[in-house]
Amino acid sequence: MKGLGKDYGTFTALGSLDLTILAGTCFGFLGPNGAGKSTTIKILTNLIRPSRGQAALFGVDVQRKPTQALRKVGTVIETPEFYGYLSPLEVLAYAGRLRGMSKAALAARSEAVLKTVKLTGWGDKRVDTFSKGMKQRLAVAQALLHEPDLLILDEPTSGLDPRGMAEVRDIVKSLKREGRTIFMSSHLLGEVTEVCDAAALIDHGKLLLQGTLDELAKRAEATLFQAVFLAPLNPDELVWIGGLPGVKSATDSGNGVVEIHLSGGPEVQAAVISAIVRSGLPLTAFRPVGTALEQLYLEQIKETAQ
Amino acid sequence: MTAKEDLRQAFVVASYELRKYLRSRRLLGMAVLLALIIGLILGLPPALGSAYPSSPNAFVGTFAGFTSLLAVLCGVLFAADALCSEHEKRTGYFLFPNPVRRETIVLGKLLASLAASWLIVFLYYGVASVAALAITKTLSWEVALSAVYALAYVACVTGVAFLLSSILKGTISATVLTFFLFTLIFTIVGALLQVGKVSPWFLPNEAAGIISNVLGTSSGPPGFGFVPDAATSLAVFAGYFVIGSIVATVLFRRRELKT
Repeated sequence: MKGLGKDYGTFTALGSLDLTILAGTCFGFLGPNGAGKSTTIKILTNLIRPSRGQAALFGVDVQRKPTQALRKVGTVIETPEFYGYLSPLEVLAYAGRLRGMSKAALAARSEAVLKTVKLTGWGDKRVDTFSKGMKQRLAVAQALLHEPDLLILDEPTSGLDPRGMAEVRDIVKSLKREGRTIFMSSHLLGEVTEVCDAAALIDHGKLLLQGTLDELAKRAEATLFQAVFLAPLNPDELVWIGGLPGVKSATDSGNGVVEIHLSGGPEVQAAVISAIVRSGLPLTAFRPVGTALEQLYLEQIKETAQ
Repeated sequence: MTAKEDLRQAFVVASYELRKYLRSRRLLGMAVLLALIIGLILGLPPALGSAYPSSPNAFVGTFAGFTSLLAVLCGVLFAADALCSEHEKRTGYFLFPNPVRRETIVLGKLLASLAASWLIVFLYYGVASVAALAITKTLSWEVALSAVYALAYVACVTGVAFLLSSILKGTISATVLTFFLFTLIFTIVGALLQVGKVSPWFLPNEAAGIISNVLGTSSGPPGFGFVPDAATSLAVFAGYFVIGSIVATVLFRRRELKT
């Protein structure tokens, strides 16, 4: 993606996005609702036209040669609706026949993908009787049908129950192990950290961060911690913690839990823990609030909101 | 992507559209309506004690009087929602990211729509011809000509319905507008033009008069309406079909899936 942008009248849904996804990567595309994730994915899959810039898949321009660009791509965009009068097997046959799959390949792959998404036994039932979660599974199945080299998934776990979410994540992980390239949008940070190798964060149509998860984690040193004590601290003790070197603030959260905001990295963290232990305060736990990446995510989003 | 591949994909799209007509019972609904019209035309004269027309043209002319309505209903059921439903019902999220050109999708849907509509007209004229042969013991070339004009008119309605389907957002508005455009709006425009001494030869419903006229009968009240000659009528049908289909394809190709 080079300088990719999309305007709706005076509203800029996507500013100017430069992003390259390396083959074999599972890439998480993070951002809150309305950040521009779906807009980007819709441009990539030729559902909408960009106002500026270029999107290419395997080096083929999506706008100029959409059929060529999308040939080796499987997509799940939002929760797609299917023709209610068809069964999952017929839906898969429709997609497979459009892609020129042979009857034998279609039969074998249909059975396999329905098994993968746990819809075996529902193959000949009409889709209009399906729940949202079942339709989402079918969407994943049709995306996998032709064994694509690239999967573009727009919030693939949306609408699924926790078990369904875990199953879809397992599918994505297994595809990643097979070496397929995955571009997955999500507003669930945990999902991205669990499944992806690299990620980009966008908000208000602007790219805020990008890199491998390791790079982002290094950049995202946790600064907000919870210190848990056996008993609630008195105000003097709280003020004392707040005055320790490297501590920006210390707030009582009740029940012996104090939220400590640090201004430094692991060294500051170690020094603060040592000081508390030496002081004799009954510390039972000291842990980051959420993940470091989560803190970075929230920090970045807060900055763009300001 | 070769033209052969495009055509293959168009037939795939068409086959699934036909499946839609079958499973949604639209085709069945049209067949029931057809049976009803045929039943009335064949059943009413004996029930009222009157005789059937003695010439094949006059006999089939009774059928031809209903052809325009049949064509409009075909357009409403098989064409009006063909394109806008992909957006409104969000099935485009499944269909469009496949490696298939939008033009190919329109072509496939157009083929299915024409196939279903022409089947209905074929059946209608088939029954009319067999009945005419059985009752009047003869048939004329004009009957075949009337059928050809009817098929052309159906294509014209389909083209316009596709155009409306590519412009409008909702399936209901596309369906309702297609129906009223041919049954009411064009008629009013035609009447107003005639009042203003302008010949409404370019209106499809006026040109559709050729379907009955070729049989020596009229589909409207005497002295009302204007029917261009056969060549002009066919040119009008072709114009609406070709322009409607091309503009629909261009608009469908440009339309973004935002919902």
